[in-house]
Amino acid sequence: MSEGNEKKSSAIWTRFRISLDTWAVAIALAAALLVRAGVLKHIPW
Amino acid sequence: MADSIALPRLRPISPQLHLFKLLPGIALLAAIGYAGKLLEQNLSRYGKAHHLVIPNIEYVLWAIVIGLAISNTVKIPDVFLPGIATYEFWLKAGIVLLGARFVLGDVVKLGSISLVLVALELALAIALMTWLGRLFKLRPKLSSLLAIGSSICGVSAIIAAKGAIDADDEDASFAIAAILALGAIALFTFPLIGHWLGMNDHAYGMWAGLAVDNTAEATAAGALYSDAAGKIAVLAKTTRNAMIGFVVLGYALHWASAGQAKTISNKASFLWQKFPKFVLGFLLISLLATAHLFDKEQLTSLANLSRWAFLLTFAGVGLRTNFREMTKQGIRPFIVGALGEVAIASLTLVLVLGANRVFHL
Repeated sequence: MSEGNEKKSSAIWTRFRISLDTWAVAIALAAALLVRAGVLKHIPW
Repeated sequence: MADSIALPRLRPISPQLHLFKLLPGIALLAAIGYAGKLLEQNLSRYGKAHHLVIPNIEYVLWAIVIGLAISNTVKIPDVFLPGIATYEFWLKAGIVLLGARFVLGDVVKLGSISLVLVALELALAIALMTWLGRLFKLRPKLSSLLAIGSSICGVSAIIAAKGAIDADDEDASFAIAAILALGAIALFTFPLIGHWLGMNDHAYGMWAGLAVDNTAEATAAGALYSDAAGKIAVLAKTTRNAMIGFVVLGYALHWASAGQAKTISNKASFLWQKFPKFVLGFLLISLLATAHLFDKEQLTSLANLSRWAFLLTFAGVGLRTNFREMTKQGIRPFIVGALGEVAIASLTLVLVLGANRVFHL
């Protein structure tokens, strides 16, 4: 992907108020919490 | 720079509608990644059933190759583009979840070794790229961007530095195209060299994490070798990413002192702004896993979630690589990048082999 796309990519995420990094951390931690709480079980590969 | 798969400009609309716009591209990433996984499984089954010796080609490679084939043969419809751009989100979420597969002690041990190697790699890469830039008479800020891209973390570092040193769009485009093209080459050459040298998983993973510039390509180059190598490549690359703020700050101060960039009043705030937050997420999950907050089955689930996230990333790596667009960027930055990358890869290989001998990685 070119620079234009990279910039637009981060623009997409900043429209959601927080950075892409912070979104990724928040979603991953929420997923870990759901696994810990037993809501998400036996995720196969 | 012409966009290989230009994302459409999004009008300011509600977040829900934005999320809806991401879905087609995410579905495409998932379809390509899953097709790669099915190909790996079915080829292996077919080989066994028919007593054929078929080399095991990992889903990682299939996902990248399918993505490459699509992006280099057909024009991807605009409706998919916003979702394809999420590959970086999946990469970072995958790295955070991968923290569950590391005991904090391992992170400290391997991270400390990585940190020493990263410091050496940074000094070597910056010195070498600056020298090559002068030798090939590249514009000084283009040389700075190439040095930042090759020493730290590719595209993200170049974008972070571009604003900080007031570099031209054209320079940033050249540097990004060179780093992406070289990353694509590294994907295919690193595993071959690793196997040829008979490197163990840890040493190879450390090398991939230190020498491959973009985080997505470093993760893929590690995973192409083995699961364990992929894990170590992510750890080494994450250590490298953590340095982004310091290097960009150094360059920003240099160009500000030359009167060619804005001065930085609050250095601590600048460092925090540039610091990749997913590194903290990775450490937090690793800390929680070390504190036995998750049982064995939950750890397996988290590791598998991380694999699914990487699956989407690898499909995105293939889809975003358009060789025709890269060749339009001119040959000199590419030659400087290629010479620098070969030298950096060779030097980091020597460093890693030396560290492997001393610390038994």
